[in-house]
Amino acid sequence: MELDYQFLIKTFFLILKGIPTTLKITAISLVLASPLAFGMALAKIYDIKYLKKIVVVYVSFMRGTPIVLQILVVYSLLPSLLNVIVKQLGLKIDVFAFNPIMYAYIIFTLSSAAILSEVFRAALLGVKHGQLEAGLSIGMSHVQTYIRIIIPQALVIALPSLCNATVNLIKNTSLAFIMSVQDITAIGKIQASYGYNYIESYADVFVVYIVVCTLIQLLFNIAEKYCGTFRQRLKT
Amino acid sequence: MRPFQPLLILDLLPELLPYLSVSLEVVIGTIFFGAILGIILTYMKINGSYGQSHIAHLYTYIARCTPSIVLLFIVFYGLPKIILELFSYNINNLNKIFFVIATFSLLYAASVSEVMRAAYYAVDRGQYESAVSAGLTPFQALYRIVAPQAMVVALPNFSNSVINLLKEGSLAYTIGLVDLLGKGNLIIAHNYGSFVVEVYLAMAIIYWSVTIVLEKFFFHLEDYLLNRKKIRTV
Repeated sequence: MELDYQFLIKTFFLILKGIPTTLKITAISLVLASPLAFGMALAKIYDIKYLKKIVVVYVSFMRGTPIVLQILVVYSLLPSLLNVIVKQLGLKIDVFAFNPIMYAYIIFTLSSAAILSEVFRAALLGVKHGQLEAGLSIGMSHVQTYIRIIIPQALVIALPSLCNATVNLIKNTSLAFIMSVQDITAIGKIQASYGYNYIESYADVFVVYIVVCTLIQLLFNIAEKYCGTFRQRLKT
Repeated sequence: MRPFQPLLILDLLPELLPYLSVSLEVVIGTIFFGAILGIILTYMKINGSYGQSHIAHLYTYIARCTPSIVLLFIVFYGLPKIILELFSYNINNLNKIFFVIATFSLLYAASVSEVMRAAYYAVDRGQYESAVSAGLTPFQALYRIVAPQAMVVALPNFSNSVINLLKEGSLAYTIGLVDLLGKGNLIIAHNYGSFVVEVYLAMAIIYWSVTIVLEKFFFHLEDYLLNRKKIRTV
């Protein structure tokens, strides 16, 4: 099997240009999803009427359907829906001229919110109940106790799962090419189709994803050491 | 815009449901081949030499970092060329399900090997030792004592991995396999791009129901196995 090495190297550097897009989708989705997920986790923990049921159904639906299908549903439904709303409001915005990356943000936010809500719930339950009581007993408010006592401890517990969720999200963003977003996979796909150099191009994409995921996992390792300092002190 | 017709979803369900079997074939085929490879990987991690266990861990790590769509394309375009080169045999016209199962087996093996490894370590070491001291061969001890207990421990993670597999398997439509998603896209194409929302929602309902059924099934299976264990120990 003859590989076109020149193409291999040339495409590699072209694909590198897709990394910012992939990371942008990942980061923005995570940032937008976190508060949403935190709210959902609290709704589940505090057993809030109706809201808990909605959250359960939402999480089950997001976990129960493939992400491709979610992308296809949102990408086929949302633009026309927005168009109707915009027309009703009498605004002069061309919905179909939106950058497709906007839809990528929406979909990946919605799907990671479902996953993160479970991560956060498990982490919050992992902090002993006495911590909350102790915080309240010395006169802190609920919000203060959460921000100062509970969340820092829960974060340490959540980090490994959070790392997992991030890596999975990066992998899932490879499907953004369906929405014609120019991420790593999309660039590889386009380069490949010029001269049918599929193997070389996808091999490049494969390597780039491994590198990106490795860097992310290293970052999380550092974060874990940094956030977990209070644990290490306890040991000695 | 054409109004949304929810009733159409009911008409579409019988048309789509037969193709669920193709998606399930992918899942079952992948579990079979993935488990074989997964057992080998687990063995290499637990019992293998220094080099072997490192290779197995590296394999798992790489598989974890690979988007399934990328590997699917690599296998779909690369495998025919490699086989043509090595055996001068053309597999380009082979059923596409073969490529899909090959891809997902490679990925599934990695995740299932982690599930198996965790389950193996969850069973107390004393179980194996007492079995061997009672006169069982190491293989018998593993097969009759450790494995049944490990299986119960592995069940929740295994159920998760199967559900993930079912969902990932839907990517097969990108290489032209006519499974549930492929058929849905064909229906959309036959109707000149109309009924898009109805078709996608019908597919979402099917996938959602299948995952719920699978989840419930594994949950009850675990319950049943745990109860049986209790009766035996008393």
